[in-house]
Amino acid sequence: MRPTVAVVEDTSLIRDSFGLLMPGLDVVAAVSTVEELIRRRPVVDLIVLDLHLANLEQQPDVRQGIAAIRALTGCGYRICVYSQEERRFVLAACLAAGASGVVSKALPTGRAEQLFLEVAAGGTVVPQPVVGILEVLVRRDCITLLSERQRQILHGRARGLSYAQVAKQLYVSESTLRGYWLDLTRSLSESLRNLTPGEIERALGLAPGDLLEFWSGEATDAKSWWRADSGR
Amino acid sequence: MSSRSVRWRVAELPTTRAGVERAFSYFIAGVRLGTLAQMIPAVHTGVATSPHGAAYLVCWIAAAVATVTVSVVTLVRRRPLGAAASAADFALACLLLALAPLVLESGERFGTWVAYQPGYALSIIITASGVRSLTLWAGGLLGVVVSYLVYLGASAGGSMISTAVGNILTYVVYALVTRMFFGYTRRIAHDADTSRARAAELARREEERRAQVMMHNGVAVMRLLTEPSTEAARSGLIDLAEVELQRMRSYLRGREQHGDGTAAEPGHSVALAAMVGRVCDRFADLNVDALLDLGVGLRLRAAQADALERALESLLLNVRVHARADGVVVHLDQGAGGSWTLTVRDDGVGFDPAARTGGIGLREVVVGELRRQGLAVQIESAVAEGTTVTISSRPATAAVGSGRDALADAA
Repeated sequence: MRPTVAVVEDTSLIRDSFGLLMPGLDVVAAVSTVEELIRRRPVVDLIVLDLHLANLEQQPDVRQGIAAIRALTGCGYRICVYSQEERRFVLAACLAAGASGVVSKALPTGRAEQLFLEVAAGGTVVPQPVVGILEVLVRRDCITLLSERQRQILHGRARGLSYAQVAKQLYVSESTLRGYWLDLTRSLSESLRNLTPGEIERALGLAPGDLLEFWSGEATDAKSWWRADSGR
Repeated sequence: MSSRSVRWRVAELPTTRAGVERAFSYFIAGVRLGTLAQMIPAVHTGVATSPHGAAYLVCWIAAAVATVTVSVVTLVRRRPLGAAASAADFALACLLLALAPLVLESGERFGTWVAYQPGYALSIIITASGVRSLTLWAGGLLGVVVSYLVYLGASAGGSMISTAVGNILTYVVYALVTRMFFGYTRRIAHDADTSRARAAELARREEERRAQVMMHNGVAVMRLLTEPSTEAARSGLIDLAEVELQRMRSYLRGREQHGDGTAAEPGHSVALAAMVGRVCDRFADLNVDALLDLGVGLRLRAAQADALERALESLLLNVRVHARADGVVVHLDQGAGGSWTLTVRDDGVGFDPAARTGGIGLREVVVGELRRQGLAVQIESAVAEGTTVTISSRPATAAVGSGRDALADAA
């Protein structure tokens, strides 16, 4: 049975063709704004959310970025970000804000669809640059409570090794390792949500305040798109 | 630390024009309140010994109120007083000096804070020299000097002449020095602001240039893709579009500084993470994830760094030409005792290490050279499973297990 999906995307071409390009997903709603989706409240397994939703031509003032993630997770939805955003701290901030996955629009549609299915099934999709951040946070004891086995898996995945390679190193089957990875990424994402920007800055050797540009607090300036905007 | 407390720390003040004016306000308040602190212990004696105790007290209170007011106003305004307030400040100092002979015993005009008026006037000269009008400053100084002469009156005779002349010279010298201090510091802040604005403009132009360079091929490819063409041409264009796509992703990812990026000098060490980051930047057409945080701070001998740079470049060239990879991960890790491991992993087509033709280039170009520099190399690959190259400062056994497909340098 195909998982039901709602798409929030301001580009009409992508919005309208999403279901055709990804036949493994049952697209039951495709809207251009988070506000519209919240009004309609469709019952779906997953929301595929574009980060950049405001555009000067049609919807200059809509909610987007971290604010959009927070609004939708607040309604109880499971979110997978689908964006051309590549900055690693923005991607990490999306996971910290409650997204269950981040998928790049630059990926081939087949691969993207596979990742959406993983998130819809309860998994967490963490982009490689964010895996690197998580490894640093674990190594510098900013994230604890990992078992030795989990650390070994993270060690391998942070180096880009495939599931098969890591499984071979750890003498487990690939499917077992995939299960371990699923649990690990879910646990790491939850840990990320509990960290403050200051803790992450210290662990990564950044200057105080470097992450404020990307990381949103509870109440932040709404001028930058990735920041929370509770006023709308 | 709260932002409120930060604002009160001089060390945290920005080196901008506004920051300098804020620092001046601290300086002014400090000098003025310091003077008041020196005046306070003598006020009781002054009132007791003055021929007109009430008048003495009124003058003293006027000076104290002016001091506190000026201090508060400058701190609140975050800059020195304006022209009108500075003129009033000078005027009050002159008036207090001129009235002093009426409220002081003649023998108390030197060497005691009972006669606070000359010291008070000096604090005005020091703090009001920040006024921008040269005329007002010179006029104020002249007024204080003339008022001081009135203050001295007939009591400056005899042995006190040298002290009186010294005090007048002190007024003049302090006025000149503090005027230079205020003016020069303002100039430095102005130049700093101008330099920052220029640097920002240059950065903006550089960013614009990068965007133009990044886009110009992409625009051409997209234009051609919209045109009717043969199947073969279209296939070639799609390959080109894939390359441009990766370039655009690399641009969107932004640039990050890895380590200090200090350039190598002969015989000196090189920041490893910065060097690896620079090499990865040259391969914007590959989807390279450079995860170098764990290796920031590592330094390498220049000769080793050169060899490693050439090897990494060869590896990435190999990926570009042969691997047909969707992604490449370059990972740097620091171990105990300064050891390190650099892992280059691509998810491309890989090769069969058993075939003599596969991997020969890698073995000769990468392994041989690095081994001569005392570095260990391990290459692991399999058809359709990508390639992993591990370079380390010690035998590469920990980072990647040596499987049956490993092409170790010992092979």
